[in-house]
Amino acid sequence: MDSVSRRFGDVRAVQDVSLTVPEGTVLGMIGPSGSGKTTIIRMLTGTLGPTEGRLSVLGQVPLEFTRQARERIAYMPQLFSLYPDLTAAENMNFVAALFGVPWWERSKLIKRGLGVVDLWDARHRPARDLSGGMQRRLELACALVHNPRVLFIDEPTAGIDPLLRESIWDELRRLRDEGATLLVTTQYVGEAIYCDRVALLAEGELIGLDEPEALRRSAFGGEVLEINTLSVVDAEVLKRVDGVREVRQVTGRQLIAVTDDAGTTSPRIMDALRAANVEVREIEEYQASFDDMFTTLVTRHREARQTTDEEIAAREAVA
Amino acid sequence: MTGVLKSLIRVTSFVGKELRELRRRPGVIATLVLGPLLVMLLFGIGYEGQRRPFTADIVLPEGSSMPTDPAFYQDMTEDRMSIQEVGTDKEAALARLRAQDVAVVVVAPADAEARMRAGEQSTIEVYWNEVDPLDDGLARLAMQIMVGELNQEIIRRAAAEGITVANAELGEPVTLDPNVIAEPTTAKETNVAPTAPATIAFFGPAVFALVLQHLAITLTALSLVRERLTGQMDRYRVSPLNSAELLIGKYVAYALFSLAVSALVGGAMVGWLGVPNLGGWPILVGIVLLLTFASLGLGILISLIADSERQAVQLSMLVLLASVFFSGFVLPVDDFIPAVRPVAYALPVTHGIATLQEAMLRGEVSSVWMLGALAGIGILLYIIALVRLRRLMHRVD
Repeated sequence: MDSVSRRFGDVRAVQDVSLTVPEGTVLGMIGPSGSGKTTIIRMLTGTLGPTEGRLSVLGQVPLEFTRQARERIAYMPQLFSLYPDLTAAENMNFVAALFGVPWWERSKLIKRGLGVVDLWDARHRPARDLSGGMQRRLELACALVHNPRVLFIDEPTAGIDPLLRESIWDELRRLRDEGATLLVTTQYVGEAIYCDRVALLAEGELIGLDEPEALRRSAFGGEVLEINTLSVVDAEVLKRVDGVREVRQVTGRQLIAVTDDAGTTSPRIMDALRAANVEVREIEEYQASFDDMFTTLVTRHREARQTTDEEIAAREAVA
Repeated sequence: MTGVLKSLIRVTSFVGKELRELRRRPGVIATLVLGPLLVMLLFGIGYEGQRRPFTADIVLPEGSSMPTDPAFYQDMTEDRMSIQEVGTDKEAALARLRAQDVAVVVVAPADAEARMRAGEQSTIEVYWNEVDPLDDGLARLAMQIMVGELNQEIIRRAAAEGITVANAELGEPVTLDPNVIAEPTTAKETNVAPTAPATIAFFGPAVFALVLQHLAITLTALSLVRERLTGQMDRYRVSPLNSAELLIGKYVAYALFSLAVSALVGGAMVGWLGVPNLGGWPILVGIVLLLTFASLGLGILISLIADSERQAVQLSMLVLLASVFFSGFVLPVDDFIPAVRPVAYALPVTHGIATLQEAMLRGEVSSVWMLGALAGIGILLYIIALVRLRRLMHRVD
């Protein structure tokens, strides 16, 4: 995607998004509801055109996909759109045939697909009788049935219990290991850990794109250390330590320090504390949750945007 | 694998999917197929094929020589009227008419025989109280028959008296029968049609055509609308499926289903209800296929313009309503003014009813152009549906 924007009337659904998904990787697109994830997927699958910018999937413009290209693509919509009167196996059979899979290959693929999403025992049940979570899993199995090379999966784990979520991500990564390229949207920020790269979206804008750990680091401006001491310590002691960017006092005996590199800065922090006669109980790398990371990045994005808006307004007022 | 084979796989996937879905909805099928059949059966059992006689009072002039026995006049009406009372009080009879106790009052002229001898016409007054235009027409017919019979009776009586007078005055034998004077000719009725079907047999092919059209329209209209509303169309748009494969898949599935329904309904009509099938099964199947083809096009077109399932059902019902009025099912198409007839001929069922009735009841289809019209409607609707569906599937919002 190169500087892609999409408007619906006056609403900016996607704003100047540029990203590339390397072949054989899982890109997680994470953002709250209304952040533009589904719009991006629809543009990439060729069901929606961009207002500005260029898109390319498998070397083709999505709106002009050839049939051969379409056979290599899978799309799992956000809402359940299968046939309620057909059984789980019949739904899969239909979708497989839709992608041109001959009948003699289908039973094996259906068995594997339903097995992956743990629905083999429910294969004869009409889709309408499946629970919401089972229907999502069936949607996923249908999307995977024709062995696609590029998968666009819109919120595959919504409404699914944590254990099954993990097994679905295992399957997505297995597909990745077999060479497939996946673009997966999710509202669960914690699922970033399952992705090779993560694109963070807020209000239609891309506010972060990197590997999950790098993104976490960039959210806090470096690697974070949690320092617990046996006696009361003043944060000022660490502010002069080389490699420490920021120190926050959590309690009298607990500090959080943002460093350039946790490995090289830890010994210096130990030395500084000893020099101040403070006995250290433990220093360990602080694993901020992806939720914290996301909140931090979104807040920073909103503040920056507000500042920009205020500057523009001020300039206009002066003019 | 070749593209043609993959196309075939996609088309057959729709055929299989549609037929499986139909199999899972026995209630809908029962309503659509058995419902009209049962209505037809009830209609055949309950409808006598003739309107009940109009109730009538006869008013005679005071001192008339005409009989006062209702049975005498009853014979004149050919059972189109049921004579209630014969009397001389005209006002009382008209009061009964206004109160709708009787449908017709016939007032005989006071001096009919004398005026006839004087070479003058008499007037029979007839009053009725009817707002239904069909009944109004039937009442007029019944009255014309009865007035004709009354005229003949008056002539018969006058002639008999005249012959008696002539015999007495001239003394010459007269062999002229008064019945010949009153009714010089009589009709000998012969219907040369190959069958004389009962009401149920006559309406059977029409109901059959209407069931087939309604079934095809309703099922296809709902099928595509549902797919559009549930987001299934997005899956189609991402997949290698094209509009023609989708349409052909739907057409083939519903054509197979219609053939199965036709076998069921047609078999029941011929074998159980005794509707003749003089043309034989091949021509019947041919008409059914053409009618189904044209009706599916109409259903798919509805599904492509309807915004919701409710609107699709409403449009299907509108077509059904138009079909009942304009198709010749109840009222002959020729009874409409020429400007309105195109509406009738635009409906597949109009041609379906006419050709099925001809094939089944006469043994051949004389209106071959109607078969061509069915094919033409089908092809035109297929092209329109294909263009519309292609736009829908390739639409870029």
